[in-house]
Amino acid sequence: MRKEFWQEDFEVLGKNDLKKLQVERLNATIEHAARSPYYKTLFQQKNIHKGDIKDIAQIRDLPFTTKQDLRENFPYGFLTLPKKEIIRLHSSSGTTGNPTVIFHNRHDLNSWANLMARSLFCAGIRDTDVFQNICGYGLFTGGLGFQYGIETLGALSIPAGAGNSLRQIKLMQDYGTTAAHAIPSYLGRLYEVFQSAGLDPKKDTKLKTLVIGAEPHTDEQRKRIEEMFGVRAFNSFGLSEMNGPGVAFECEYQNGLHIWEDAYVVEIVNPDTLEPVPDGEYGELVMTTLDRQSMPLIRYRTRDITRIIPGKCECGRTHRRIDRITGRSDDMFIIKGCNVFPMQIEGVLMKIPEVGSDYLITLVTLNGTDEMVVEVEVKKEWFKGDIRRLDNLTKMITAQIRDEVLAKPIVKLVEPGYIPKSEGKAVRVVDNRVNGVTKENISCS
Amino acid sequence: MAYEVSIFLENKIGHFERITNVLKETKINIRSMAINDTVNGWGILNLLVDDPDKAYEALSEKGISVALRKVIALEMKDEAGGLDDLLLQVAQADVNFNNALGRTIQETQTAILVLNVDDYEESIAKLNAKGIKILEDQKVYGNQ
Repeated sequence: MRKEFWQEDFEVLGKNDLKKLQVERLNATIEHAARSPYYKTLFQQKNIHKGDIKDIAQIRDLPFTTKQDLRENFPYGFLTLPKKEIIRLHSSSGTTGNPTVIFHNRHDLNSWANLMARSLFCAGIRDTDVFQNICGYGLFTGGLGFQYGIETLGALSIPAGAGNSLRQIKLMQDYGTTAAHAIPSYLGRLYEVFQSAGLDPKKDTKLKTLVIGAEPHTDEQRKRIEEMFGVRAFNSFGLSEMNGPGVAFECEYQNGLHIWEDAYVVEIVNPDTLEPVPDGEYGELVMTTLDRQSMPLIRYRTRDITRIIPGKCECGRTHRRIDRITGRSDDMFIIKGCNVFPMQIEGVLMKIPEVGSDYLITLVTLNGTDEMVVEVEVKKEWFKGDIRRLDNLTKMITAQIRDEVLAKPIVKLVEPGYIPKSEGKAVRVVDNRVNGVTKENISCS
Repeated sequence: MAYEVSIFLENKIGHFERITNVLKETKINIRSMAINDTVNGWGILNLLVDDPDKAYEALSEKGISVALRKVIALEMKDEAGGLDDLLLQVAQADVNFNNALGRTIQETQTAILVLNVDDYEESIAKLNAKGIKILEDQKVYGNQ
């Protein structure tokens, strides 16, 4: 079989050539980064200069960058260019604390769109496909990230947005959709809507490829989706700090995700010692952008836990593969495609006078869909015996959490004293999801 | 005026017993009760007891979400149609209620209907205007 690539020059580069390219681009990245207020000061302190890097292993001499650094230097501390040059920003959710914002100039958007097109091509999508992007458009990267990638690839894009299952099905039927992108739990719901409409996606659509990501899922869940829709489903990984989707993608062999090493330096480190771990061992994914001008990030701690899959891939691509994300080295979790920090929910609850200081977040799988249950204590002195008042309180808390984290919770009021009291680092999140181990980091709503 | 004891109760094993145990220890006698369920996993337990103040204090001390709510107690005959006769009068007096409790008093062949209303004073006035008799506390609590 003839191997096909989107960019053969880059995708099958030999190990040494790839390293050489990385060194060249890392020095350019340092040069760009030194123009931002944050890195300028840092590089002066640490005596870091462009051209310092002769071997890619020397990246370990550079300092790490954390989400906290991004927040503390919000909004423009990492910007290397005048605002005039910047043409788009993407930002995380959240009204408590500073959001994480990433800026792009035209070069950055083109580079991202190219990586996204390369990723889609890698999963077998071609310009003859009709691609329906079932994902929220807006500040999140899943909508526009895929949109630009589909267009760059040259497939016919349907920017369907999230939700409204009957309309999604109608679009699929009207335009003969052959490929789609959605979060895995939504596809379970969509299948139910197909069934209740008396339709079978295997017979009644032309779907042959699904791209799934942005939500924890296992290989078993992937196989179920493949059976339900009669398609092949490919895993997608990305995070907004590294642009969004298109960072790593599965190829036809569906055995790990090729992470694009011409665009990122990939390290796996022990999250406690920050020392590198050998290929095959699990650790925290640390990434450096190599082709972003407006806002380069150096040794960014993604907090995602994964490993490099050792060995060559049969597809011929030389870029190493990462495994499914197995967890986080911080307390963030992902539900319905949204990144959630427990502190965001705590922030909402503490502003509501009727509720006590104790709460518990439980992540569960109900009828195949992952849900976030938030148990909240109602203050004793606030209780007046009125059921409608409690119902209204439940609705109010639900709406406020949804506004904050963009995922709708199931709010349960509980009797005082039944939630374990917080002592120091209290367990605030219990993950009982069927597939709650793997986590990805692209936000869709 | 009479009071019912309202308690926030989760729909979980053993939670109701925790309440009744406190009442048992405090020697509170329950005259009547009503419990509702909601889709949210909790409900409100309404109790008519012989000493609401004592019940409130004891439950409150145990950290239980409890409230005393003013109720209107009406008398009816303990016979077929007794409740219907009374409710017709209540409707004619234009009084609406949110929840109700009932209990019978064997000695007098009568029964008591306890109503929780939104506007207590206005409801009392409407019932009075129709000549519907409102029972005294101690009779409601079964202490007379």
